[in-house]
Amino acid sequence: MQKVTLKINGCSRQVVADQDMVLLDLLREHFHLTGTKQSCDRKGQCGACTVIVNGKAVLSCLTKVAKLDGAEVISVEGLGTPDNPHLIQEAFVLAGAIQCGYCTPGMIMAAKALLDGNPDPTDDEIKHGLRRNLCRCTGYAKLIDAVRLAGRFLRGEIAPAAIRPKVTDAKMGVSHPRPSALAKACGTAPFAADIQMPGAAEIAVVRSPHFHAAIKSIDCTAAEAMPGVIGTLTAKDIKGTNRLKYIVEDRPILCEDRVRTLGDAVAVVVAETREQAQAAAQAVKVDYAPLPELRSPAQALAPDAPQIHPDRPNLCFRQPVIKGDADAAFASAAAVVEHRFTTQINHQAPMEPENSVAFMEGEGEDAELVVMGRSINIHLHMATLQAALGFENIRYEETFSGGQFGIKLEIFTEGIAAAAALKFKQPVRYIPSLAESMLITSKRHPFDMQIKLGADTDGKITALSMDITVDNGAYHSIGNVIINRALHMLSSSYYIPNIKVASQLVYTNNPWGSAARGAGPPQAHYALECAVDMLAEKLAMDPLALRKRNSLQPGQTKATGHVIDEWAFEGLCEAIQPAYARAVADAAQAADGPLKRGIGLGAAAFGIAFPGDKSISAVELEPDDGVTVYAAAADPGEGNDAMLTQLAAQVLDLPLDRVRADTRRTDRTAASGPASGSRVTFMIGGATVDALKQLRQAMDEVGAKTHAAFVAAGRPTRYVGHKAVTNTAPLDPETGQGPSSDSDVHAIQLAEVEVNTESGEVRVLKMTAAVDAGPVINPNNLEGQMQGGMDMGVGYALREKYIAGETTDWRTFRFPTMKTAFDTAVITRETPRKRGTLGSTGVGEMAMVSTAPAVINAIYNACGVWISDLPATPDKIKAALQARGKG
Amino acid sequence: MHADDQGPPADQGRDRRLRRIAGQDVYVDWEDFLWDPQDWSEAMALALARESGMDGLDDAHWRVIRFMRGFYFYHGRAPMNKDLRKGTGMSLMALKALFPQGIRQGARRLAGLPNPKACL
Repeated sequence: MQKVTLKINGCSRQVVADQDMVLLDLLREHFHLTGTKQSCDRKGQCGACTVIVNGKAVLSCLTKVAKLDGAEVISVEGLGTPDNPHLIQEAFVLAGAIQCGYCTPGMIMAAKALLDGNPDPTDDEIKHGLRRNLCRCTGYAKLIDAVRLAGRFLRGEIAPAAIRPKVTDAKMGVSHPRPSALAKACGTAPFAADIQMPGAAEIAVVRSPHFHAAIKSIDCTAAEAMPGVIGTLTAKDIKGTNRLKYIVEDRPILCEDRVRTLGDAVAVVVAETREQAQAAAQAVKVDYAPLPELRSPAQALAPDAPQIHPDRPNLCFRQPVIKGDADAAFASAAAVVEHRFTTQINHQAPMEPENSVAFMEGEGEDAELVVMGRSINIHLHMATLQAALGFENIRYEETFSGGQFGIKLEIFTEGIAAAAALKFKQPVRYIPSLAESMLITSKRHPFDMQIKLGADTDGKITALSMDITVDNGAYHSIGNVIINRALHMLSSSYYIPNIKVASQLVYTNNPWGSAARGAGPPQAHYALECAVDMLAEKLAMDPLALRKRNSLQPGQTKATGHVIDEWAFEGLCEAIQPAYARAVADAAQAADGPLKRGIGLGAAAFGIAFPGDKSISAVELEPDDGVTVYAAAADPGEGNDAMLTQLAAQVLDLPLDRVRADTRRTDRTAASGPASGSRVTFMIGGATVDALKQLRQAMDEVGAKTHAAFVAAGRPTRYVGHKAVTNTAPLDPETGQGPSSDSDVHAIQLAEVEVNTESGEVRVLKMTAAVDAGPVINPNNLEGQMQGGMDMGVGYALREKYIAGETTDWRTFRFPTMKTAFDTAVITRETPRKRGTLGSTGVGEMAMVSTAPAVINAIYNACGVWISDLPATPDKIKAALQARGKG
Repeated sequence: MHADDQGPPADQGRDRRLRRIAGQDVYVDWEDFLWDPQDWSEAMALALARESGMDGLDDAHWRVIRFMRGFYFYHGRAPMNKDLRKGTGMSLMALKALFPQGIRQGARRLAGLPNPKACL
């Protein structure tokens, strides 16, 4: 132990610390300064814990407290508060640099250290200053903008008030600050691990070291006798179904007699401290009998393969698409291309680990189990937990969320935390490591796709066939939805009259797939959009002209036979033409040598609001004359709070400081449905607008907008709105024909890359996206989605891959960094949608759907090799170049 | 291609299916909850009650069903148990006795309240 005296945010503190204690833990656990975040398991990989020590930015997770005697420490709490923010905090808010907010405090502290020493940094100096800080949401573009803006504020060139939109400004099309942004900038927004629960127990989980094994016995006796241990749980302690059912009841909270993939939960230890729980978990004895590991669809489909789930075959879903006569069309096609493409298992990589807390509130029949985590569908997940635990009085509360990108369509640690709180009747925290979080969460499904595309002499695409095998992993989750979404959007932006598709979903013992930004279409678009470029080459046509020529037209049909009545793609081809022409010219002028320049395109039409979708939302004129939107619209970083409040202010013609959104609790919100499928603006926003219009009509009839006037007039102050999509019928199971989405967002992306033909390294120079999601509600939020989505798409194309047992942190995942960031441009068109929310539709997932094919097409354009297996790592590119040389 | 191979049919999962209740074709979900609460009628509640073995619905049943529907259309969600107790003045035990299939599978389903929506 060592006694140190140090100043923290200007206050002198005396601390007696263990030699190993790091500053991060001192700040968070002892001084409750939870603005400083933990993401990378204290490995110094992410920068979320950055603070300033003696004027320099340091990673507090690597900084030993024992060495800080006499030091002056500033954490994000030492800069400003939401009521009195620091200029850098204001700059991050106004630049739109804050999405989920988990990396934000660390970014701001790194920016402060930089600007303190260099008030006018260049972009390269900003990138260097923030080089240790990771962000999954923004693609880094707006972070650089924010530091530049902060420099201008600090130099006195401009004041925040000069650029901050006024609450009375136009509501639509203006980048009003998100309501939650300042709390995130100041470190006061509570994420799950930040919730103060004095005396709460901690959890450690015993997990399977096998991909497939029978559980012969579990012995917790030794663990229960260890210091600090409150108790243990196994499957027999779960009183409900013990299944976290999404579609199929196949995923247990705790495994009973079999583990089906690496990391399956087997037993739980609850103890007074995390260290005690972890030590005791080591003492739990589990006797396994290994079973054959089915690590590929081919192995799982072999005639002698064991069935992974007793009640379901390994081939668990299939959905054909039969439209027109593809065989005949191929026979008469002027040009046909055929290729096989495969994609990797990938992690969605939100920065926040899978933290959750649970506790009992109230007594007797009112005793309520409160579960707090980052669900994006709190009402469904409350129902899931009710069934799994056999306990009805549950409330779910969404905490602030350090990103999710689809991962929180499912719940992970919440089931265990809730079961423990229920059994031991005391508050519990389950704060797993990043490694454990990556192990236990769902992944992006890997696809194996054989595609064939045919066209006539005019370059009209006449036929498409595709054979798709999807590795579902050990649990179903939404596997069938993933395939169906890929099929709904199979023909993307184009009219293709003849289609023949076979698809199959296969259980294996691999990591299980679920929602991941785009959820099916990114994989299928990779194959389709690369095949379109192959076809362009074969037809000797310009790839942009070929895409525009094949644009779907109103009155024509999608892959499922659904007739569309609006389509905004052609205008985007025109909008991106100047950037495309400039990029072609730049590439042509690039010097020849080992570095080869290339450009590539990728288009996407992304369907939103599929048949059967419904949403509901409530609005209320409150006694303080404010209007509250009560809707379970999770906001893991997209800016849904801004969307809802800007819509409310627009419809009611109120200043923004009279509207607010209440979105986080199951006992306060309407059950609006998931924040997935890019449906929040279209569906939840649409239901909210319906409610707002009812309130507006009442305001007009009353002739006033105050609560008192409504009460005096005897009018209700609360209104419930609905939105339902036009169609309800699902796809035909034999032909894949049927109605499709109510809305589509369109984009075309242009990648400019440089390939080092000696090393195989690819550098993305610039990504340009032309996008049409209807009238823009908040430009910063739309651009932020696009920039972050393209960054994620480039990572998917070039680097990222999840390998069970090997990918355990951000370095092994190959998380995108400032160093891999690239220039971006976003061109927007605003074609109002007939069924849109004030004309608007969603944008979040589409942002990355066509990025990977654009990059892969650019690599081919640069050096003449097709990378058919993502990610396009240097070794694959070198091998392809060598193979081409030999050929 | 293996389009003609034999395999399992499309899994309806959390999808909906069309069924006839009290002479009306309506979409229901995987647990026989109405997909759209607006499709509900008193005749449907009676038909669903008889299907689940109940003799009929008396005043107490209707009081619970009407409270549930009123709550749903005011709040946009099903009542929690505490809301139900407060709104009906009945204990949980009394409520469970009224609806042998339980509050959720019984009262809530008969009232035509939908399950929370999943990702489609």
